[in-house]
Amino acid sequence: MRKRRAFAALLVASGLAIAACGGGDGGGTTGEESGGKSASSDGIVDGGTLHILDVSEGATNLDPQRIYTGADLGFLGSTIQRTLTSYKYAAGVEGSELVADLATDTGTASNDAKTWEFTLRDGVTFEDGSPIECKDIRYGVSRTWASDVTGDEGPLFALSFIDAPEDYPGPFTATEEQQAGFNEAIECSEDGKTITFNLRESVGDFNFTVALLAFGPVPEDQDTGDQYTLKPVSSGPFKIESYEQGKELVMVRNENWNKDSDPIREPHLDKIVWHFGLDETVIDERMIADEGDDQAAIVYGGIQPQNLQTIFGDDKFKDRRTDGFDGFVSYTMVNMKTVNCAEIRRAIWLALDRDALRTAGGGPFTGEYAKGFINPRLGADYEEADLPEGLNEDGTPNVEAAQAEMDKAKANPDCADAYKRATETGLTRDHADSELWQKLIAIWIDSMDKIGIKIIDNPIEPSKYYATINETPGDLMSAGWAADWNNASTVIPPLFIKDGGFAYNYTWEDPEYDAFKALVDEAKVETDREKQGDMWKELNQWLVDRVWNIPGLYTKTQNIVGSRVRNAYQWYQFGWYNVGAIGLTE
Amino acid sequence: MARVRGKFAKKETTAEVMDPTKVVGLSPFQLGIARLRRDRVAVIGFWVIVAFVFMAVFAPIIVKIFGLDPYKLDRSAINDYGLPKGPFGGISWDHPLGVEPGTGRDILGRLIYGARISLLVGTIGTILTTSVGLVLGMIAGLRRGIVDAIISRLGDVTLAFPSLLLLIALNQPFTQRLVDLGVPRGNTARLTYILLVLMIFGWVYVARLVRGQVLSLREREFIEAARSFGAPNRHIIFKELLPNLWPQIIVLVSLSLPGYVSIEATLSFLGLGLYAPTASWGLMLGDSVGYYRSDPTYLVIPGLTLMILVLAFNLFGDGLRDAFDPRSDRQQL
Repeated sequence: MRKRRAFAALLVASGLAIAACGGGDGGGTTGEESGGKSASSDGIVDGGTLHILDVSEGATNLDPQRIYTGADLGFLGSTIQRTLTSYKYAAGVEGSELVADLATDTGTASNDAKTWEFTLRDGVTFEDGSPIECKDIRYGVSRTWASDVTGDEGPLFALSFIDAPEDYPGPFTATEEQQAGFNEAIECSEDGKTITFNLRESVGDFNFTVALLAFGPVPEDQDTGDQYTLKPVSSGPFKIESYEQGKELVMVRNENWNKDSDPIREPHLDKIVWHFGLDETVIDERMIADEGDDQAAIVYGGIQPQNLQTIFGDDKFKDRRTDGFDGFVSYTMVNMKTVNCAEIRRAIWLALDRDALRTAGGGPFTGEYAKGFINPRLGADYEEADLPEGLNEDGTPNVEAAQAEMDKAKANPDCADAYKRATETGLTRDHADSELWQKLIAIWIDSMDKIGIKIIDNPIEPSKYYATINETPGDLMSAGWAADWNNASTVIPPLFIKDGGFAYNYTWEDPEYDAFKALVDEAKVETDREKQGDMWKELNQWLVDRVWNIPGLYTKTQNIVGSRVRNAYQWYQFGWYNVGAIGLTE
Repeated sequence: MARVRGKFAKKETTAEVMDPTKVVGLSPFQLGIARLRRDRVAVIGFWVIVAFVFMAVFAPIIVKIFGLDPYKLDRSAINDYGLPKGPFGGISWDHPLGVEPGTGRDILGRLIYGARISLLVGTIGTILTTSVGLVLGMIAGLRRGIVDAIISRLGDVTLAFPSLLLLIALNQPFTQRLVDLGVPRGNTARLTYILLVLMIFGWVYVARLVRGQVLSLREREFIEAARSFGAPNRHIIFKELLPNLWPQIIVLVSLSLPGYVSIEATLSFLGLGLYAPTASWGLMLGDSVGYYRSDPTYLVIPGLTLMILVLAFNLFGDGLRDAFDPRSDRQQL
């Protein structure tokens, strides 16, 4: 899943290597803080209004089939959108444990994990009291195919699992034949209680896939097409009362949600008000002051780097602050069409002053230098990749090694075009515009200048960033990614395979692409989890060697909550609070 | 005593003015300079401006001599949070005005380089608006009739536009248009755009003033006399009209220049001016706002610098007006 807009810009510092991550192998440089009292449930009194302070002008998406940013998946999943399976309400690694939600259990696989069956609970309803049935889930999922209506920002890679007709265009324009074909791929039992997914290939952890909100139910008779994202129908403990872009979104309790049908959610709040369009500086200031309603407030996003010292240098914030890895890996995509030369890509990595980039973003609070594209959190799939020779562990640039790579590129006739582009035309550096990036770009220009590479700065309006690089990718582009669940199958295919949806850098232009794709396809269907893990590790190493992307950081997020907020723990799976679990003290 | 002409005469003539026993004939310009020199506030303003111009012109040399490279990152001057080490934004012998948080770049060096941009925009903007305004104003005043009507109405229409709003709103599309037309991308295109818009909206003030002056001057006896001798238009414009227009124009210029400096800073602050990593006061101000809690020095310094320059221009401009505009209430001689 992708990090959201401005925060991508903030945290995707770009290009980095070594030092260990808190999760694994020792030598970590900063401690993590889990939030002290605010993460506990001490003194929660049911009721009250939670305020969410947000810089952006509105929610990225409320339509379940379009939501694919980490924080939103957790936030909206815990409040308004139930799915067949979901994650445990718990702090720490326990929060990535799969539990049954709308389904009675976490699914039954058969036919070599090509068929998955889930049975719905009794008494599950939408906000109008009508029961949630198999057809609602089937209809919901089918909307993901309709990219003309629901956009292409959803988890498109998951669609390839399901054995739907190749040309299925989604429920809005499907012919009867196509719809019938789709209904065979996702079958409903007579009584509407059992849903069966027929898959194209073996997917050993498909029950994690259905925890994506894209697999959430939508009542067909209340579907408003592309307007559904303004007011989706709730199945969770809260429902949307009003939503005004640029101002606020108000959620109130859903009277038709009942605790007996939902073993995981334990709502304490009466109301959630999501405030939009606030100034970043003002948000931090209000949180530091902690007065009035702000005592019951949380921040969508994080603490600005300039205020980290204020908040983390003072123990009076100890019970209100969190600092920890959020599961994301930041990286710089290199356009394979224009920079089709591994030597130059490696030279960029070697010459980049990753230490300066990290410091500008808040130092060790920004994260640890990444060793590849798979986050250490993905235990079974993670292994430190062998990094290019000469890459400094402390993030400082190695100009000599980089220059050596550049010389190799110069001598290589295959690299002629790319070399000319890098040294004469200049490489366009795409990034979401922000104050921090004004410094980061200076560091990029400075670093690349030392090996004769020219950088053309291309700041893009943050809310249009991903749409822009999708349409007109530059030579170098920042991005960040986290796994959808505990399997690198949700990292490597979406980021590097053509159909994955997020390979904006034309990876398929590389002559080695076909060989790579064959390996990925093999790894995807491997059902022996340990063996599969080894395959991902190998592919990760392959990617580091070819430098399709330049790894950045295993990023960290710092956050602060008001003094009356409790149960505000970072939800391991999503990198933000479990908003649905939050309660307030008196 | 024979009167010495030319620039070397300045001291002497001033001394003569100061001496009440001598009666000497002086041109209005010399009189104005003499008055100006007695206005202490204006003189201070003048020297401050000179200092800024000197700094801007010799920026690369100054920066090199004092080791204040505005683009050099200094990791040792900032702590792990990215904030400057030491009190007052990291003020030290190495960095006399402290360092930029996050990168450790020298603030004084960046201010000096920023002065180049500010003064460049101020100067070019003023030259453009003044020359366009002067030409159009003179045409309107001399031709009168339909030409005057067209130019004057055009001016009225231009003034009716909310110029700053337009400057902001049209920024992206017009900059792109300039790039399409072959202006180099980035700062050049942005600066060209800003200067063009400033010119389009700025000429009216100059043109109105010039037109009014020309209308009144053209009826004066000395012009009549020149005409009766059959002097060509060229002579009347350059020898008779322009010398009488200069004082007002100089006053207007000195007052509009700080306005353009501020506009550049405003636009850069809003992210519509120059691109990073160029050192610009507006960009520095924009960046520093977020640090007002953790590094207030960083916020104060660029703001103060901008204020000093603009104030100096305004004081000097006021002095000029007092000295050259005889109708001014505050004149001293």
